[in-house]
Amino acid sequence: MALLEVKNLTKKFSGLIAVNEVSMSVEEGQIVGVIGPNGAGKTTLFNCIAGAFPPSSGSILFDGQEIAGKKPYEICQAGITRTFQVVKPFASKSVLYNTVVGAFATTPHLHEAEAKAIEVLKFLDLYDKKEIISKSLTLPERKKLELARALATEPKLLLLDEVMAGLRPSEVTEMLPIIRKINESGVTIVIVEHIMQAIMNLSEQIYVISFGKKIAEGDPHKVVADEEVIKAYLGDEYVATQH
Amino acid sequence: MKQLLNQKPIILLISALLIGALLILPLVVTNPSLMQIFILIILYAYFTSTWNFVGGFAGVLPLGHSAFIGIGAYTSTVLFQTYGISPWFGMLVGGLLAALVGIIIGLPTLKLRGAYFALATIAVGEGLRVLVENVKEVGPFKLNGPSGISLPLTESAFMNFQFDSKAPYYYIILIMLLIVLLLTYFMMNSKVGYYLAAGGEEPEAAEALGIKVARYKLIAMLVSCFLAALGGTFYAQLMLYIYPKSILGLDLSFEIAFIALIGGRGTILGPVLGALLLRPVSDLTRIYLGSSLPGLHLVIFGLVLIVVMRYYPKGLVEPVKQLLERFIHKPARDKANNQSNPSSRQE
Repeated sequence: MALLEVKNLTKKFSGLIAVNEVSMSVEEGQIVGVIGPNGAGKTTLFNCIAGAFPPSSGSILFDGQEIAGKKPYEICQAGITRTFQVVKPFASKSVLYNTVVGAFATTPHLHEAEAKAIEVLKFLDLYDKKEIISKSLTLPERKKLELARALATEPKLLLLDEVMAGLRPSEVTEMLPIIRKINESGVTIVIVEHIMQAIMNLSEQIYVISFGKKIAEGDPHKVVADEEVIKAYLGDEYVATQH
Repeated sequence: MKQLLNQKPIILLISALLIGALLILPLVVTNPSLMQIFILIILYAYFTSTWNFVGGFAGVLPLGHSAFIGIGAYTSTVLFQTYGISPWFGMLVGGLLAALVGIIIGLPTLKLRGAYFALATIAVGEGLRVLVENVKEVGPFKLNGPSGISLPLTESAFMNFQFDSKAPYYYIILIMLLIVLLLTYFMMNSKVGYYLAAGGEEPEAAEALGIKVARYKLIAMLVSCFLAALGGTFYAQLMLYIYPKSILGLDLSFEIAFIALIGGRGTILGPVLGALLLRPVSDLTRIYLGSSLPGLHLVIFGLVLIVVMRYYPKGLVEPVKQLLERFIHKPARDKANNQSNPSSRQE
């Protein structure tokens, strides 16, 4: 059985259909990519899964349980943790404090939460920065902190919303092995990303969304050769010139 | 408890000395007016510390805490006046009532952010004052509208919460303050404290990490209102006269918020420092300028607040701490320098 099973998910915002009958399924241990042009509805899909908005219709099964319409904190407690495209650190607090907040999802005791947080910070090479106030971190460090906080909750499924947006190419290449390492530690990952190089490199399976609809799915190399996908990204003419 | 004793020995020593000095203060100071000023400093530090649970940690700015202090004062007073129930018991009833009102008010208002929450709490505080000013009696309880209630005088006894000398009042409020400071310390170092801070700073991110932000804010509100009401009963027993303007008005709410903001909200010692600095100002202006310029202390507080917010937006506790740390560490550093200098010369 799939770990995450999204069936015919639809989200409407007063007339605008942001996500239209999208279905997807994620197996345990996979890295699954969701791509699509700007405004395609990727983040809305994400927000529905993470509980930020209730979906208008459709179902989301996680580990066999219906989670559609649940609150974000309930979904986190069920085992899905998300990161934000625009990072949201607890700015006045240290890196360690931020991570401990995440780790409290697994234990009510401070010393255990701290031990868990330190383990995660070491795993992500943030340990030397643990006393730094998070608002003085650089952007790549903040993105890593966002990951650390999410990982400290010990999720089964990690939803990454454009963790690489705004990073320089060299920073992207640093980030890729980190995400692969997280996956290898046993965390299933769904990643929304604009940077094709990154997503082609990471994902075993890709879903392409355009204007709220799923237009392609499958193996990354098959998907980028798909006519519909090229049309969505580059327009009709490009398809015509290829032939 | 383990964490508490894990502090640096010098800090433990200083706190022990400070608490010791506070405990023997009534033996040294015999002048009742001076004692009254000390008691009020501690009482306001107490009020502000209870405010701190919501205003300091939950990321909102309550400006109507006088409502809960007033509920505490009025509840114990009318129970004593009408049925002769000991104010100690009335204190508890007032606390529970204030906690209940706090939850009812907190449920809709704690979702508001920034200035909107502040405005809502001002409305609640002022609303309650106007209500009490216009009500002569509720059932068997006489509130006497704007003229207030004079507490029936009894003999000086612990159960009556009335004493001839100031020392018992001093010890009671000192113990109450120490308990609240300990509670604050334990809360800051627990899951609740971390969750409150997270929810106050970035509610969306906090929810994504599994935190039911609204529930933790309500817990803070409940604790804060309960404890504030206990202070209200103490105030009533100390003054033996309460009226709406004294204990339910905006002046009290603002003074608490000023003390917190100037001292440092969201810290353990900020409220104490703030009260220590600001209470004498308000007492002295009341004593010397009370008849010609009433309310001058709030003007002074406002000016101080502007200056403090401009240079130390986190309150005065930070610079004071740095100053103390320099003072504590300086001898140690000098010693280290002396030891390293000869060796460098030899090389």
